[in-house]
Amino acid sequence: MVELRDIHKHFDAVVALHGAGLTVAPGEIRALLGSNGSGKSTLIKILAGLVEPTGGQVLFDGAPVHIRNGRDARSLGIATTFQELSLIPMMSVRDNILLGNEPLARLGLVDRKSADRRIEELLDRFHIKCDPDTYVQALTPSVQTMVEVAKAVAQNPRLLLLDEVTAPLHYDEVELLFGSMRELAAEGVAMIYVTHRISEVFTICDTVTVVRNGETVAQGAVGDFSTDTIIYHMTGQRPEAAASHAGSETGGREGEPMLDVRNLELLPKAKDLSLKAYKGEIVGIGGLEGQGQSEFMRALLGATPFQGGEIVYDGQPRRFRSPAAAVREGIGFISGDRNREAIFALRTVEENLLAGKVAKGRLFAYMSARSIRAFARDAVGKYAIKIGSLRHAANSLSGGNQQKLVVARWIAMSPKLLLLDDPTKGVDIHSRREIHQILRRCAQEGMTVVMSLSETEELLDNADRIYVFYEGHVNAVLSGAQKTPEALAAAMLGMSGPGAADAPSPSGPHSDSLSGRSISRSIPGAPSPSGPHSDGFPVASSPGFPGAADASAAMSPATGGGGGKGATP
Amino acid sequence: MKDNLTPLMRAKVFVKESPARMAFIIAILLYVATVAVSPTSLNANAIGSIIMMTLLLSFASAGQTIVLIGGGMDFSVGAVMSSAAILATTIMNHRDGYFLPLLISALAMGAFVGLCNGVCAVKIGLPPMIVTLAISNVVTRMQYVLTQGSPLGYVSDAFFRSVTTRLFGVQFLPSIILYAFIVFPLVFFLLNRSRFGKQVYLIGNNPLAARLDGIEVSRVQILTYVFSGMFSAFAGILGAAYMQSVRCQTFDEYAYNSLIAVIIGGTALSGGIGTYTGSIAGSLVMVVLSNLLTAMQLSPTKRNVVLGVLMVLLLVLYNREKNVRQ
Repeated sequence: MVELRDIHKHFDAVVALHGAGLTVAPGEIRALLGSNGSGKSTLIKILAGLVEPTGGQVLFDGAPVHIRNGRDARSLGIATTFQELSLIPMMSVRDNILLGNEPLARLGLVDRKSADRRIEELLDRFHIKCDPDTYVQALTPSVQTMVEVAKAVAQNPRLLLLDEVTAPLHYDEVELLFGSMRELAAEGVAMIYVTHRISEVFTICDTVTVVRNGETVAQGAVGDFSTDTIIYHMTGQRPEAAASHAGSETGGREGEPMLDVRNLELLPKAKDLSLKAYKGEIVGIGGLEGQGQSEFMRALLGATPFQGGEIVYDGQPRRFRSPAAAVREGIGFISGDRNREAIFALRTVEENLLAGKVAKGRLFAYMSARSIRAFARDAVGKYAIKIGSLRHAANSLSGGNQQKLVVARWIAMSPKLLLLDDPTKGVDIHSRREIHQILRRCAQEGMTVVMSLSETEELLDNADRIYVFYEGHVNAVLSGAQKTPEALAAAMLGMSGPGAADAPSPSGPHSDSLSGRSISRSIPGAPSPSGPHSDGFPVASSPGFPGAADASAAMSPATGGGGGKGATP
Repeated sequence: MKDNLTPLMRAKVFVKESPARMAFIIAILLYVATVAVSPTSLNANAIGSIIMMTLLLSFASAGQTIVLIGGGMDFSVGAVMSSAAILATTIMNHRDGYFLPLLISALAMGAFVGLCNGVCAVKIGLPPMIVTLAISNVVTRMQYVLTQGSPLGYVSDAFFRSVTTRLFGVQFLPSIILYAFIVFPLVFFLLNRSRFGKQVYLIGNNPLAARLDGIEVSRVQILTYVFSGMFSAFAGILGAAYMQSVRCQTFDEYAYNSLIAVIIGGTALSGGIGTYTGSIAGSLVMVVLSNLLTAMQLSPTKRNVVLGVLMVLLLVLYNREKNVRQ
């Protein structure tokens, strides 16, 4: 029914797709799989009309079509449930579902009665227990997601795109959703299903398409795939690659930790996060997207309050009331969400470099133009930032150079603790490397670096120890020999780390042993292993089979092309 | 690529490149037009009066510029000026030797109003335009309450002379220029050479990034309103000195005029961009334009209509593409 042929898409210099393809037939549920930034979201967006491909063909019922916007998609019978949800928080459930799809009576008025009937049917079908008049923002994330699905189904689509819908859902809701999906399939609706939970693929999908680095690398019936082969296709990584991850164990762990976070609770995302970071060490934080990493960073910085637990910084329990207070105490923060949270796009390169210095110190102190210029020149030279002129606006630079501006801004202040939230998101590979080199140098000079990274390979290469967050808990701490792709992948997917097997029964969930042994804990919210194919799940405690070795990168954006899309909302 | 631009787009590009320069050119053109309409207006005295009014407006615009760059807006400039002017005539009451008490009380009043503006707009998060309008309304009514609607007194002769004397006997050099020697460097320091000013620009451009960068965004933004109040108050007492005696709401129109002047000067309504030089140039445009309209013998009501239309045109011309970012 629908076919995408040799699709190309680039966002400026960032190549998101080159040669991706996809077909789906009526009544078919196709899994679309790929690591972060592989291009699967872009494919979905092309079908939803949010992104126009720069090359290739979209065929619908055999005829080429141009889906220029959401309306085009809708008129073709394509409905989408978005990972970020397309609901309007300040509108009622009823109005959200009906939005743009209101049954009309005469004179173009909304036919209230038949609308109510339809809403009731839909809510019933998905077992959504809520008053249709409640505001969407008052619902829990899982109910919101179900409403998002109901909204898409309300359009009576011929093709339904489901982008990571199950992430916030509970087990029984997932079952319910799958039930509805089977019904829809029986009615002849085609579906494209994007998920990170590979076990679900075997439960619900008929066919599989795997994309990697913007290319379709494998497709076929679900029976032809196993978890191993899927992960192999997703990563394409040879097992030997793991050898290079021997790691750079340099951080001295003597004495008191610079940062000691104990049982931090951050509602609603994080329930219990503990972490230690020592002087001269680069601590990495890994995990799937949205496991509480950003919230954790922001709590350390004082940007968001935390509900429970304790942060001991430089030997003293601290609870910073604002980032300004944290910065005064020698903490620096670098966000990967450059445009929103880090770059001052309209201001000059010089001012951007100076932002750290500007934030700290007496408010009415005189800042001489000459010393400012010297400072900026020095930074540009030291960090090899490619600029036209110090006077040009920051948005004249490439993404990588912009990020280097942000990094340089803080490094130059030599903070005692540097926090980085996915600092290389959307940054080209070359700049990435440079940024990591800079960070390593700083660590060697005694800075403590805590860095969350969405790309696992990068994490393995650059962090001394890795804390893996899963559903608001620290699921594993990997260091030394345990820093393997398969261990990381398993921990990210919510399974206990490989250390679990030989670790003595966990002496409490937070026993943060620094001997290189990972902590482990049972995860209540782990992806339900109750699916029929749960036995096929890549349990990484059996390292050695090639598929699992690649699992690490399963959730990592593909190098180069990946980041750009990771940044898109 | 520049070749296929429409004239309007070309104008936009030029304006964006250097709004201050553009404003000076407009001012000169307007002045030429004035002279063409009424040749008698070409005399040293008239030029002196243009300089006088321009400086007064530029002092009033100083705070507005800072607030706007920091992402806010201050509509209470006029009300604070009027109130400060009434303070001036009341406190001085035609006596010499009261300048210092006047200065202190006027600045304190301005700072207080600014603080109220700042706290409401920043801490409580109300829209700046509405809050400052509401507060300026209160300030205006207070003038009537405290003076029974008819303020008394005159400024001292010395103060009057300190503003209006022609320096070296040259007609186009009113002594208010001496005050500019204080205000201009002060604003230049605040915006361009102090940590405060650098923070204001960063906040105006991207408040979230500024916060995560460790800048105390609220405090700095509130301070911009406080400065605005103080600059307005200072402009108000100088205005009183120029007028000698004042009524309630004498300087109310400075609220709009300062805003337009600042926008003409290239300061972005959305914050993060702007210069005080631009605001000075914008003030000059406003004054020369007003002169032109007078020379054309338009009634004050019609003048207001023209000024209103002008403001809309400017907003169209200066409106920048929305910062839609992925």
